[in-house]
Amino acid sequence: MLWYKGWLETRFRLVLVLVVVALLILTQSNGSAKADVRGVIFIAGMSVWLQCIFLAAAGIVTQQSLQAAKGLHGSTLFTLTLPVSRFRLLAVRAGLGWLEMAGGIGTICCLLWFLFPVIRSSATPQEMAQFAAVLMVCGSAFYCITVLLATVLDDLWRVWGSLLCYGALGWLANKIPAPAAVNLFQAMSDRSPLLTHRMPWTAMAFALGLAAALFFAALKVVQIREY
Amino acid sequence: MSDFIIETSQLTKSFKGHPALRGLDLRVPVGSIFGFLGRNGAGKTTTIKTLMGLLRSDSGSALVFGISVQDEKRSVDIRRRIGFVTEDKELYPYMTVEQIIRFTRPFFPKWRDDLERRYLRMFELPPAKKIPDLSKGTRSKLMLLLAIARGAELLILDEPTDGLDPAATEDVLRELVAVAASEGTTMFFSSHQLGEVETIADQIAIIDQGKTIVAGSLDDLKARYQRITVVFGELAQAPARWVEGVESVREEGRMVSILASNNVEAIVEQARSIPGAAVERFPVTLKEIFLEHVRSN
Repeated sequence: MLWYKGWLETRFRLVLVLVVVALLILTQSNGSAKADVRGVIFIAGMSVWLQCIFLAAAGIVTQQSLQAAKGLHGSTLFTLTLPVSRFRLLAVRAGLGWLEMAGGIGTICCLLWFLFPVIRSSATPQEMAQFAAVLMVCGSAFYCITVLLATVLDDLWRVWGSLLCYGALGWLANKIPAPAAVNLFQAMSDRSPLLTHRMPWTAMAFALGLAAALFFAALKVVQIREY
Repeated sequence: MSDFIIETSQLTKSFKGHPALRGLDLRVPVGSIFGFLGRNGAGKTTTIKTLMGLLRSDSGSALVFGISVQDEKRSVDIRRRIGFVTEDKELYPYMTVEQIIRFTRPFFPKWRDDLERRYLRMFELPPAKKIPDLSKGTRSKLMLLLAIARGAELLILDEPTDGLDPAATEDVLRELVAVAASEGTTMFFSSHQLGEVETIADQIAIIDQGKTIVAGSLDDLKARYQRITVVFGELAQAPARWVEGVESVREEGRMVSILASNNVEAIVEQARSIPGAAVERFPVTLKEIFLEHVRSN
């Protein structure tokens, strides 16, 4: 029933996020004849980032946040007094948000496939599916940053904190590039299956490990929080 | 198995250096209807939140069903056996009455469909109506249904009749007593409506500044306390010092009003020994006991 509750909370916001991202892609597809694969990959990457930011902004991760914000919403009190562990509460909320992000990525990749002929001519459907999988797995690390931030930041700072964090990460990635094998930005772009026709397994494993560590940190925050 | 469903011992809790609980001792007998009273800021909500596992005490202990509320692994078991009504009566704004019942039901294996149907009908709750469209009183009733229908052994109610009109309040109080009697449910409720507490509670505790100042059977407390009025004749004067047992003395011209907590007969005898004094005894209400204790604390 927690999944059901989460779905009721987030379904309209999910649609809004997908509409905004789809419009972004559609506007970019006007120049699709001139687009190259790297350009399309850039659009896909930006869409994933936008999804994460919108998820934070829309409170999808933390609608009825599990954080001790001032003026705690009463229905959060109702949730916290149900016979459910905080681990399960966080896991369901984060899991649902991830599924929605993954669904969004799948939708984005389908749109890209159909709207950009350059993709269809340079990659197979299998490689496009692999690219979607890379985005989902590598995107999980960025998504879990949102999850962690949402457990420590209150409503006002959740969006700005996420924006600042992603901006800082992007800047750092340019200034101090991580080793290629674990560089998530490269795995989602230059080293993605659409260009290299290979899966960046090391980067994906690193992303999963990082996502797990961030989720564990968020869990610890939630477990020690007072409400 | 303890005779007490809730036991706290020297419970302390501070928020940013400000003490909310200062060594709270509380014992709630199994099967009782327990009124938990105190002024605003006395520590009632802090106590309730600690019992529900939402806050961690700085020191001391709190047991519910004999289980420490700090035991995270078993805290889920505690909450599975408790029905809780929050003070603000807020529920999920995107759900209807029917949806929130359907959502809550699976968490409680002992959910009572018969009580659900009974209170849906009695409280006239519209199943298809969205929760934000309900009045505060109706939301209070919905929360009570969600608490009672889960088949809980313990109901923790924070201002359960807040927002209800007098007729609805009467119905709710009657139903709470009926549930306590028929299901053996222990009821622990916090309320500012002393008249209501006096109507249904058999045990009470008054807390002030984070400590218990009075606790026990309501009947025993009311039997113990008496108000004695002494009207003096023209030449008579009140004694310089009253015998032991006088909680407070209020002088109004030629009349002295005494609140006695024990040794009543000796106080009456002392008053009657004053030449020309007319002495009367009255029972006290819970409100008088409450006001006397919080003011003198």
